[in-house]
Amino acid sequence: MENKLNKTVLVVDDEDDVRNYLVAALEDAGFNVRTAVDGSDALEKVKKSKPDMISLDLVMPKHSGSKFYFELQKDKDLKSIPVLIVTGHARDELGKVDFDTMTMQGPGVYLEKPVNPKKYVATVCKLLNIDVPKGFEVDEEVDPDMLRNKLTSSLRDADPDALKRALEALNKK
Amino acid sequence: MAEDVNSLVKNEFFELVPFNVAVIDREYNILTANSNFHDYFGEWRKRKCFQAYKKQEFPCADCKVMDVFNNGVVRVSDESGIDRNGRRCHYVVHLAPVRDESGKVRYIIEMSSDITDTTRYQREYNILFERVPNYVTIIDKDFKIIRANEKFRQTFGDMAGKHCFEVYKKKKKQCKHCPAAMTFKDGKDHMATQTGVSKDGDETHYVINTTPLSRTGDGVSHIIEIATDITEVTKLEEQLKQSHDFQSTLIRNSADAIIGINRDGKTQIFNPAARELFDWHSRKKPGVNTIKDMLPDDFFDKSIKDIEAISYPETIVKTSKGREIPVRFHGYNLNSKKKNIGKVAFIEDLTHIKKLEREKLDAERLGAVGQTVAGLAHTIKNLLMGLEGGMYMVDTGLRNNNVERLLSGWTVLQRNFGKITTLVKDFLSFSKGRLPEMKILNPNTQVESIVEFYKDAAKKQNVELVAETDPKMKEAPLDPKGLEACLTNLISNGIDAAVLRMDDDGKVIVRTIADNNTIIIEVEDNGNGMDDEVREKVFTTFFTTKGGKGTGLGLLTTRKIVQEHGGKIDVETIVGKGSTFRITFPRERLKMILEDTRKT
Repeated sequence: MENKLNKTVLVVDDEDDVRNYLVAALEDAGFNVRTAVDGSDALEKVKKSKPDMISLDLVMPKHSGSKFYFELQKDKDLKSIPVLIVTGHARDELGKVDFDTMTMQGPGVYLEKPVNPKKYVATVCKLLNIDVPKGFEVDEEVDPDMLRNKLTSSLRDADPDALKRALEALNKK
Repeated sequence: MAEDVNSLVKNEFFELVPFNVAVIDREYNILTANSNFHDYFGEWRKRKCFQAYKKQEFPCADCKVMDVFNNGVVRVSDESGIDRNGRRCHYVVHLAPVRDESGKVRYIIEMSSDITDTTRYQREYNILFERVPNYVTIIDKDFKIIRANEKFRQTFGDMAGKHCFEVYKKKKKQCKHCPAAMTFKDGKDHMATQTGVSKDGDETHYVINTTPLSRTGDGVSHIIEIATDITEVTKLEEQLKQSHDFQSTLIRNSADAIIGINRDGKTQIFNPAARELFDWHSRKKPGVNTIKDMLPDDFFDKSIKDIEAISYPETIVKTSKGREIPVRFHGYNLNSKKKNIGKVAFIEDLTHIKKLEREKLDAERLGAVGQTVAGLAHTIKNLLMGLEGGMYMVDTGLRNNNVERLLSGWTVLQRNFGKITTLVKDFLSFSKGRLPEMKILNPNTQVESIVEFYKDAAKKQNVELVAETDPKMKEAPLDPKGLEACLTNLISNGIDAAVLRMDDDGKVIVRTIADNNTIIIEVEDNGNGMDDEVREKVFTTFFTTKGGKGTGLGLLTTRKIVQEHGGKIDVETIVGKGSTFRITFPRERLKMILEDTRKT
């Protein structure tokens, strides 16, 4: 899939699974994606090359997202980068204090985990002021049941060859 | 016949009269004397009177004999002389003239009698009267002071002729209930306590004794009044009463029960708080045996007699109905001038405090569950995120025939499924039973065995795991499984932290400390420590800094178990130096929880 949007997003998250998922979704939508595993890693990478947008997790070991965010806001050049906060802590005690003090500064919005891929891509596009790519339009609020249904329906419609290969690969494990 | 009697009596009379009789002439020569005289003064023959009476060689300076020879009037005189044994003696002598036919005084008959003892008594009486440390006065029927002693004169001045009530009370009229008046009336001794005014105008207190001194035909004419100043005593009495009132008010209104027992074991003080505490409604105070049933045995132990006090921060007393009450007890031996005069007990009812402590403990234990439920939502959100991602990968992988993506999505789903399984297991164990299963054990034993168990696993990660146990540690009721879970969690956290050093010098120390009334268990690592942000959050929710590795339940479970034991857990940490997690179990609370578990 070609990166036709010509926009670069830095995905910062300490969990591999989450990071891989967000990267996949963004790449599918046509973004260039770079990754960082915590705040200090992210700061280094941002300084090396400025992304168009940052997708940021808040709670990470060693160097947290909120710390990174404040460092970003202190830098005249970097503070203009829009930040999308992807957190599970937006509403609970652990994240609330950080969150309340952060939201007022600089451009940015937050998404609460779990994030739906369409909603995620749509929010990124909105922050970058670009149109949402085809296939990522948000129809309505998605719930896990719906996702599960979708998954089973795609399994039903899937290419038999692909399914066969997938099963073979799984059996090998 | 009558002549015979007369001459007989005349002859014998001289010898029979109970006086020392001597007859002298104008030249002081003793012409004759009776045997009484001889017995008293010794030899008289061929002696002059001054030689016989006074054993001196010249007439007395104040000699009355010549007066009597000259004017023929009888004289009586108090004299002192020397008796036949050379001792000073006192005597009264009557000098009676004997006349010849011409009426001229030819001889003098001297009749003397001994008053040596009387004189001594008189002197003694005088000294007593003057020097006695009381006010002594002789008063007449008009209550006028005839004579007053030295102390009286010193205090009041010469008050002779004044009324006693004027002197003692500065009053113009006789007092009511006057003991002197009563003595005048009935001739008996009387006593009364009177309040007077001193010469400085201060209130003074006297005890007055009145005794009849002399009588005339119409009753008592004089009395002796002895007044003793008891102002000081009265003042002391008042102070004593005040101090007694003060103390009894304190005792009566004390919120603590106060029980005083005298040397014979009899209850002397049993204040209202004691009545309430011991459910005692009788008007009488509890007897010897009842009190012994109520209070701790040690209080009555003879061996503590020498010890000043016994003190129990917490013990049990029994009410009159046999109900047991938790109290704080202080018992003291009461000593006065090194002699034991009894004992006293101060007892504070702890029922209410116990109840509050219990409520606090329950609240803390319930709180642990509440905080957990709040944190649960977050963990589930994270798991959903994983599932969401996994599904997206599988979904898009299938749709685009991308097997690689399909497989990685499937792995994510599997991993998150595994996490859900772990979480559910953790959570089940977490929510299992609020009351720990208490067993009496020494925490040292468990610490040592767990350290032994994890030592090798730690070594494989180049972390040294050691136990430092306090040899003074005593047994306590603890839940062995719970304690094991706590230690395992903290040790595994400690190892994880120490591994992060990357220099293979990681070390985790598990330490026990036997403090006064608490058991302290510390797990110290030399890892990277935590910054404030992490430290604040470490116990609060399902918080993990271990990426995908942890469920965030470890410290929460640990804290929950610790709180169920009535204990607390806290952490000290320095970035770059390491962290120390410290569990504190108050022994009192462990006991309380043990009681609870035995009840259910």
